[in-house]
Amino acid sequence: MGYESELMIMLLWATNTVEAVKEAWWLYAIGAFVTLFIIGGSLFFAYKAYVQSKELGMAKEDIKKAVISSVSFSILPSIGIFIGVITMAGFLGIALPWIRLSVLGALHYELMAADWATEGVNILNMSVENFVTIAFTMTIAIIWGSLFTLFLFKKYQSKVVDKATEKKGRSFGPFLFQSVFIGLVSAYFGDAFSRIFQYNTREIVDGAYTGTIIENSSFVPLIVFVISFLSMMGFDYLVKQKNVKWLENFQLSLSMVIGMASAVFLGMGGLF
Amino acid sequence: MNTAYREQMHKFGRIFTVMGIFVMFLAPVSIWVFTGVAPNFAQMGVGVLGLSLLYLPGGLIEMMTYSPLLGTSATYLAFITGNLINLKVPCVMNATEICGTKINTPENEVISAISVAFSSITTVLILSLGVLLLIPLKPLLENPILAPAFNWVISALFGALGYKYFKGNWKLIIAPMVVIIILSIVMPTFVNSQVMIIVLILAIVTLVVSKILYNKNKI
Repeated sequence: MGYESELMIMLLWATNTVEAVKEAWWLYAIGAFVTLFIIGGSLFFAYKAYVQSKELGMAKEDIKKAVISSVSFSILPSIGIFIGVITMAGFLGIALPWIRLSVLGALHYELMAADWATEGVNILNMSVENFVTIAFTMTIAIIWGSLFTLFLFKKYQSKVVDKATEKKGRSFGPFLFQSVFIGLVSAYFGDAFSRIFQYNTREIVDGAYTGTIIENSSFVPLIVFVISFLSMMGFDYLVKQKNVKWLENFQLSLSMVIGMASAVFLGMGGLF
Repeated sequence: MNTAYREQMHKFGRIFTVMGIFVMFLAPVSIWVFTGVAPNFAQMGVGVLGLSLLYLPGGLIEMMTYSPLLGTSATYLAFITGNLINLKVPCVMNATEICGTKINTPENEVISAISVAFSSITTVLILSLGVLLLIPLKPLLENPILAPAFNWVISALFGALGYKYFKGNWKLIIAPMVVIIILSIVMPTFVNSQVMIIVLILAIVTLVVSKILYNKNKI
């Protein structure tokens, strides 16, 4: 075998090691493309909604409020999602977690998918085959919600949602959806409250589950919940009673910051 | 409500969903093509089957539960961009509350679409910025002092949002709160690991109480 052929084989091997694949330029290029796709799609639907708002004679101020409140509200949870990218990076590199958490992903789901698709694999013994298997498993198993939306949503909207809301005057329909809101908020109160007694976390080392389950308990999430609740109550008083209108779009984000800051202070005091 | 706008949004939403699914598959297919290494289909089958047992019914329940709150275009957008329960749904709840729009109205369609669109843009921009600035950001975000803040971001989110929903609905809150407190004491790990099921149980409890109070003209 000639020197050039050997060099070619070595180059192919070097670019096909799992570390090289995880950090390949084309995987980052796909990440950039996914980001542009989401931004493009979002701007398209936002523009269509804006045109529709003009036809409906809606106040420009309402559109502005929706934009400002949604952007300011989304910043902190999005930083939380990015921490998920860092958490997974040790095992899967940066590019794949970036892509996965940009479209229809969630940290616990991705870790579970990685765990189920390649049981027993860790950062030291992962192969390219393991990596591609994980990537496919993560993508396929989360797709059901999108497929149901694609095939059933239109019919469900006209047959169920419209029927529940179309009645004029006193109607039970709105309570149907109000119940979901209340169920959602109460469930997350329960999520915080139940952690006083016990919650289990699966140990993560180098961005993957180790199989060890750690039992914990903590008052902190309940304290955070209550402090955010009370902060919102205070901001609501300022907006509604004291007419501090600028606060309206930021009250949720500020209440969250106060709640999260309380967790930091409790942590500094040794309470986690 | 059956406007031309909504019909148009169904059309565009379906096109966007199909495109989104293709975009999602770009990464795994490219890894396969560029490396020439196929996935292990047996392992993949086990993983997909196991996860689908959880996520197939979950996907249907999520579509049925959240699509009425989100409206047409926001539903299509949210079911591609993801993070529904921890971001998109509360984001829309907040925006529609501030703008005072009601579910399944043309105005609500507009506000929720704008809300989900700008929430999605914020998320992907922060993720991209984070990837670009990973080296300086990593030590900061992994700092143990800051860790509790992001560990409990969901509790902060729903605590703040909770006030808005508890405030006007005191009569409806009592029953789900009693149920969740009892469940939390009896089976805490079930409550904090199966949130989707808990949301359903509590929504049904609230619905039953609402119906009783509604029939008695108390709400």
